[in-house]
Amino acid sequence: MENYTLARGVQDFFNALTLGSLYALIALGYTMVYGIIRLINFAHGEIFMLGAFFAFYAMLFTPLPWAVALLVTVLVGGVVLGVLRAVLSASSGSRQIILGAVIFIGSFLLLTFRAVGWVEALLISMLLTAVAGVLLEAIAYRPLRGAPRESMLITAIAASFFLQNVGQLIFGPRIQGFTVETSLNQVLTLNIGGDTVYFTGILLLVPAITAVLLFILNRFITQSRLGKAMRATAQDAEVAQMMGVNVNQIISLTFLIGATLAAAAGVMYALRFGQVHPLMGLLPGIKAFTAAVIGGIGSLPGAVLGGLVLGFIEIYVVSLFPALTAYRDVFAFVLLILILLFRPSGLIGEDLTEKV
Amino acid sequence: MMRTRNTLLTLATVLLAALGIYILTQLPSAGGLVSALTLVFIWGIAAISLNLINGQLGILSLGHHGFMLIGGYVTALLVLPEQERSPFRTRLLSEWARENLDLDKWLRGLGLDFLANSMDAKFIIALLIAGAAASLVGFIVGFPSLRLKGDYLAIVTFGFGEIIRLLPSTPEVARFTNGPLGIKGIPADAGSIWWAFTVFVLTIFFFSRLKYSSYGRAFEGIREDEIAAEAMGVNLAYHKVLAFTISAFFAGVAGGMYASYLQSVDTQTFNFFVTFFLLVAISLGGLGSITGAILGTAIVVLVRIYGGFLEQPYPLSYAFYTLGGLMLLAFGFTYYIRTARRLRPVLEPKHYWFGAIGGVLFLATLIFQNHPFLTEPQQLFGLRRILLAVVLILIMIYRREGIMGRAELSWQMLFGPRAVTPTDEQRAQDAWLSNPELNPGLREDKEGENGAS
Repeated sequence: MENYTLARGVQDFFNALTLGSLYALIALGYTMVYGIIRLINFAHGEIFMLGAFFAFYAMLFTPLPWAVALLVTVLVGGVVLGVLRAVLSASSGSRQIILGAVIFIGSFLLLTFRAVGWVEALLISMLLTAVAGVLLEAIAYRPLRGAPRESMLITAIAASFFLQNVGQLIFGPRIQGFTVETSLNQVLTLNIGGDTVYFTGILLLVPAITAVLLFILNRFITQSRLGKAMRATAQDAEVAQMMGVNVNQIISLTFLIGATLAAAAGVMYALRFGQVHPLMGLLPGIKAFTAAVIGGIGSLPGAVLGGLVLGFIEIYVVSLFPALTAYRDVFAFVLLILILLFRPSGLIGEDLTEKV
Repeated sequence: MMRTRNTLLTLATVLLAALGIYILTQLPSAGGLVSALTLVFIWGIAAISLNLINGQLGILSLGHHGFMLIGGYVTALLVLPEQERSPFRTRLLSEWARENLDLDKWLRGLGLDFLANSMDAKFIIALLIAGAAASLVGFIVGFPSLRLKGDYLAIVTFGFGEIIRLLPSTPEVARFTNGPLGIKGIPADAGSIWWAFTVFVLTIFFFSRLKYSSYGRAFEGIREDEIAAEAMGVNLAYHKVLAFTISAFFAGVAGGMYASYLQSVDTQTFNFFVTFFLLVAISLGGLGSITGAILGTAIVVLVRIYGGFLEQPYPLSYAFYTLGGLMLLAFGFTYYIRTARRLRPVLEPKHYWFGAIGGVLFLATLIFQNHPFLTEPQQLFGLRRILLAVVLILIMIYRREGIMGRAELSWQMLFGPRAVTPTDEQRAQDAWLSNPELNPGLREDKEGENGAS
C-alpha cells in the first residue's frame, strides 16, 4: 500500500480497461442469449476458447499454392455462406452476393499472397466461430425449444463439457504459446511523476477494438431491420412471431453475434496473455457471466458496464491488497452470489432498459 | 401381511447381495469388479442425495462437489494417522491443525480408548462429523433457495460449489487442507466394499422412507407447484433448507468415503466434473427416482471403469469407421422410427445430409485406409467424458424423464397385481358401464349416434 504510486495506478488502469473490455465482449454474448431465449449459455466460454484456437491455427498457415487456395476458399466459403444465409435471410439477394464475393476474393488473396497475421487471424476466427456458435444452437439448443429451463441449462452445461473435452482431444491438453511478432508487443514507457509506466500496444488496442465492435453492434441493434426484430423477440417472442419475425432465425443470429464477439475476445485474450489452452474459456466465461449479472442480465449496456466494473474491481483489489491475490477467482463467485441474492436485476435494472 | 412380505423380500435381497459380494471378494480374479462395485456404491450415495434436491425438490443444484469436498477433507484430517502428519508430508498444514484436528487424540482425551483403538469406530465418528460439517454448509447454501428460483438458483449453487472448490488452494485455508499438495495416506477402511455396501443400503433405506414420508410428499409438492404447496400448508423455507441439509449430509459422507477409497484428497479430487458426473447419472436414471439414480450411477461408473478400451491407441481409421458407421446407423434408425410413427416427410433434408456425411466418411476411410494419416495409432483421450456429455444432451433432447421416470422399483411392481388384470371393483364398474339397463345414458348415446348416421 505504501508504495502505491500514481504510475502504478495508471498501469492498473490500462490493465483493468483491457480486462474489462474483454469481459464486456464475452458478457454481451451471455446477455443477448439470455435476453432472447432465457438460457444461461454455459458453453459460451468454450466458444471463446474456440475463437482463440481458430486464430491460433489460422496463424500457423503459410501461403498456399493458388489451386489449393481456390479449393479451400470454395469449400470453407461455401459452408460459411450457407450458414450465414440460413441465419440472416434467404431472400435478400444482391447484398449477399456482394458480401460473398468480398469474402471469397478476400480469403483467396489472403491464402495465396502472405502468411496470416493477427488481424486476418482475428477476422477468420470471428467468421469461423460465428459458424460454430450457430451450429451449437442448431444442434444442442434448438431441439429443446419450449423445454423446461432447467433442461436447457443442463444441456448447456453438457455442451460446455463436450466442447472442453473435444478441445482437449483435438487441440491437445497442454498450454500453447500464442506469440505474435508485431510492434504491438514492444514495451512502451510513459513517465508520470518520476515513475515509469510500462505497457504494450495491445493494452491500448484491445479497448479500441472493443469500442469499434460495440459501436457496430449498437448501430446494428438500433438501426437495422434485423436488430429491430431482435429487440422485438427479446421483448416477447410470441408476439414478435405473430408480427412476422422469424424467431428461429433471430435466435441463430443472436448466437452468431455472441460467438463473433466471443471470438474477438478470445483472440485478444490470447494476444494479451500470450497463450491458448482448451480450458481457457472456463474462468473468463464464468467471470463474464458474473459481469452480465452485475450489469443486469438481458441488458446490453449493462453487460458492458458490468464487464468494466468487474475488470476494474479485479485489477484494483489485487493491486491494492496483494494479500488477496489467491482469492482473485473466489472473489468473482462471491460477487456473483451476492448480486444474484440482493439485486438479481443488476446495476441497470431489467425494466429500465430494453433487453436484447 | 403385504408389508411383512415386502420387508422379508427386501431383507432377503440385501442378504443375497451381501452373499454375492462375499463370494466376489473371495474370488482372486474379481478385484476390478469389486472396486467398480465399491465406486458404484459410493457414487450411488452421492447420486441419491443429489437426487433429493434435483429430482424430488425440483431445484437444480450444481454445487454437490462442494459438499463432497468438505466431507472428504474433514474425514481425511480427522482419521489421518500419526506418521502421515509429520511436517515433511504435510508442509502447508499448520502446526495447530496438525496437532489438534486429530480424532484419535480427542477420543483418548475423553478416555474413550476402546473407540480410538478401532479404526472402524473412528471412521464412523469421522464420517458423521464430516456429514455434519457438510450439512452445515448445505444449510447455508439452502438459504438462497428461499429468494431465488430456476436457473439463477442453479448458478448460485454452482457459485457456492466453486468457491468451496477454490478455497483449499488459498493460503489461509491451506493451513487446514495442505493446499494443492493435498492429504495423502488416509486409511482405506471406509473405502472398502463392505463399508460402501453398508452405508449404501442405509442410505437407500433412509431415502426411500423419506420419499414416502410427509417430508417427501412436501418436497414433491414444492417441485410440482410452490404456490399450491404453500397454500396447502407446506412451509417452503423449512422444507427447502431441510432438503439441502439432508442432501449435503449424505454428500459429505460419500465424499469422506471416496477420500478413503482413494486414500488421498487434493484440490483436484472434487471438481465440477463430480457434479456433472452425478447429474448425468441421475438424469440418465430418471430425475426423482431413487432406483433411477442407482441405475444411472451404475451405468455411468461402469462406462468410466470399463470404457478404458475406448481410449487405447488405435489406428485413426477405426475412429472414422466407427463415427461413419454410427452416423449411418443413426440414419437408418431415424428412418425406422419416423416410418413407425408415420411422420411425413419420412426423412427431411437434414437427415439425408447427416446420412450422406456418415456414408462419405465411411467410404473415404475405406478408400484411403492405407494412408499413413489413418494407419498411425492415435489415442483419443477424454472420449468417455465426451460420450457422457453427448449422452446427457441426447437424454435432454429425446427422453427427458430418463430410464425410470419418477417410478421406483418396488415389490408391488414385481409381484403385485398387474395393471392389465382388472380388479373386482373395475370389473363391476365395467359391467355397470356396459349394461344398458343399469346405465341409461349409454342407450341414449347409441341412439344418438344411430340417428346421426
